Amino acid sequence: MSLIEIENVSFTYHGNKKALDDVSLSIEKGEWVSILGHNGSGKSTLSKLIVGLLKPQQGVIRVGGITLSADTVRDIRKKVGIVFQNPDNQFVGVTVRDDIAFGLENLQIEREEMIERIEHYAKKVDMYSYLNKEPHNLSGGQKQRVAIAGILAMKTDVIIFDEATAMLDPEGRERVMEYMRALNREGTTIITITHDMKEAVLSDRIVVLKDGRVLKSDKSENILKDKATLEKSNLELLLPLEIMHYLNENGIENPSLKEFLWQLSLNG
Amino acid sequence: MAIKFERVGYEYKDIDGKGYLALADVTLNINKTGEFITLIGETGSGKSTLAQHMNALLTPTEGRVHIFGMKISRETRKSKNLKLNPIRQKVGLVFQFPEYQLFEETVENDIAFGPKNFGVSEAEAKERAKKMLNIVGLDDSYLSRSPFNLSGGEKKRVSIAGILAMEPDILVLDEPTSGLDPLGRNALLEVFYDIHQKLDKTVVIITHDMNTVYEYAKRVLVMREGNLVYDGNPTQLFSRKNVKSWNLDVPDILKLRRALEEKFSITLEGETRSKAQLMAKIKEALR
Ligand SMILES: Nc1ncnc2c1ncn2[C@@H]1O[C@H](COP(=O)(O)OP(=O)(O)OP(=O)(O)O)[C@@H](O)[C@H]1O
Ligand SMILES: Nc1ncnc2c1ncn2[C@@H]1O[C@H](COP(=O)(O)OP(=O)(O)OP(=O)(O)O)[C@@H](O)[C@H]1O
Ligand SMILES: [Mg+2]
Ligand SMILES: [Mg+2]
Repeated sequence: MSLIEIENVSFTYHGNKKALDDVSLSIEKGEWVSILGHNGSGKSTLSKLIVGLLKPQQGVIRVGGITLSADTVRDIRKKVGIVFQNPDNQFVGVTVRDDIAFGLENLQIEREEMIERIEHYAKKVDMYSYLNKEPHNLSGGQKQRVAIAGILAMKTDVIIFDEATAMLDPEGRERVMEYMRALNREGTTIITITHDMKEAVLSDRIVVLKDGRVLKSDKSENILKDKATLEKSNLELLLPLEIMHYLNENGIENPSLKEFLWQLSLNG
Repeated sequence: MAIKFERVGYEYKDIDGKGYLALADVTLNINKTGEFITLIGETGSGKSTLAQHMNALLTPTEGRVHIFGMKISRETRKSKNLKLNPIRQKVGLVFQFPEYQLFEETVENDIAFGPKNFGVSEAEAKERAKKMLNIVGLDDSYLSRSPFNLSGGEKKRVSIAGILAMEPDILVLDEPTSGLDPLGRNALLEVFYDIHQKLDKTVVIITHDMNTVYEYAKRVLVMREGNLVYDGNPTQLFSRKNVKSWNLDVPDILKLRRALEEKFSITLEGETRSKAQLMAKIKEALR
């Protein structure tokens, strides 16, 4: 049994064409999976289905063996945390502190532990001095960092990051990626939705969506060099692999250069 | 000079009444034509705040901004003679969060709103809406959709189309490519570059993507803690040792080039600011 099982799931927003069309996908415990695909391919819809914010019109979703339904959704949300694509949709508190506290209150964490976690995770994302600020009055990147801290503090078994680093500066993005790596090593199952191949290469597996369907799901190192698949869903090769492709097309044989380019790609 | 910042400071007021200085003593000139500028810098450094001064959405709390000859300061904002509409028409600003910009019932009305507001006929505004929607990579089926019921990247595209439809003299885009798929990002950067190149307009892009900076910018502005700390060209910027200390990074092309030069003890000649240039140089070096 996989930790997350998605079986033949379809979803249509009222009056529109299918946002997800017969999607089946399993995610193992401790796995790190990236979900990639063109704008509107269904990535956010899929993530909202996994946490029970949307209900599939067809198919079944199971988390840890429990079938998602109105009765189980509360329990499943304690296991699966999600950082939304738009951090404004995440904020409920008047201050950054309240906001991080909110998720912890839902988990019935004790007061002392709560205070400890709030401070720890605020420091982790470098927002400690902003704890008393209003989340809505922060810069774009600061909002994203607060949204990330709020979910990290909940220490859920699974965390979904929906383009959660899109507005961070290079240094901040690097730090969040480091942190994802550390969490994953400690056993947290991670799902990252991204357009950035440099982030995707860090994960175990890449799932490429196109027009609401799974175009391909394979080990990251296989998808990484699969130019045809990537291009079908508006994605591009990492720069070293694009160069490699160019060398091949021009009949340039240079094994040591190619090996070097491949190694560079694997390091993101 | 189209936009001129003179010792501009801006202080936000928090709920508790405490002030927060987001801009400090910024002096800056932006030409009416011919500029392609990227505005970069760490999270919270004041980029969006600076951008909102470029079309008078914010009024400086210190100093003044001149926009097409109109002086924006605490004093002038009190005067009834200050007309902001012409400024908003001349300087188009795309927000960092598209949700702050979209408000009409349909995508078509949303894009057509700006031009109509500035006196363009209904028919012409609708014509432009359709054209701009296609330019940002969405087909006609989106015209009747609600701008709120779209994916993140689709919202971003519609918000960009709305400003393009106003045909402003200066285009200011706050992280226009974050959340776009790579094909869309490349295509839109080309659209912005075309507007700059073919119509000789000035474009200002806020971004965290160093590749965009390196491949497109003629001029780079770097913000740090409310201060403008660099105003110059990208080549010089990325050859500085302290780019990392500004929370910036080295562009992929440059990183790869340096790695290759070191690993294979070669020196590539000349600048390689595009992938095509880099590929050509590598091919040359392998001969
Ligand atoms: N609230 C909504 N109402 C109606 N249609 C929607 C809604 N949200 C998304 N859609 C549509 O469903 C499809 C999938 O959207 P989704 O947000 O899942 O895409 P995505 O892969 O996350 O895209 P992006 O990369 O732009 O964030 C798109 O065609 C979109 O227009
Ligand atoms: N409405 C507001 N009220 C109070 N402080 C604010 C407000 N908006 C922004 N700030 C603060 O002003 C500073 C500059 O914010 P700004 O949005 O200009 O940053 P930015 O450079 O655009 O950052 P990012 O890359 O994260 O978008 C930040 O420290 C932020 O917390
Ligand atoms: Mg999305
Ligand atoms: Mg900003």
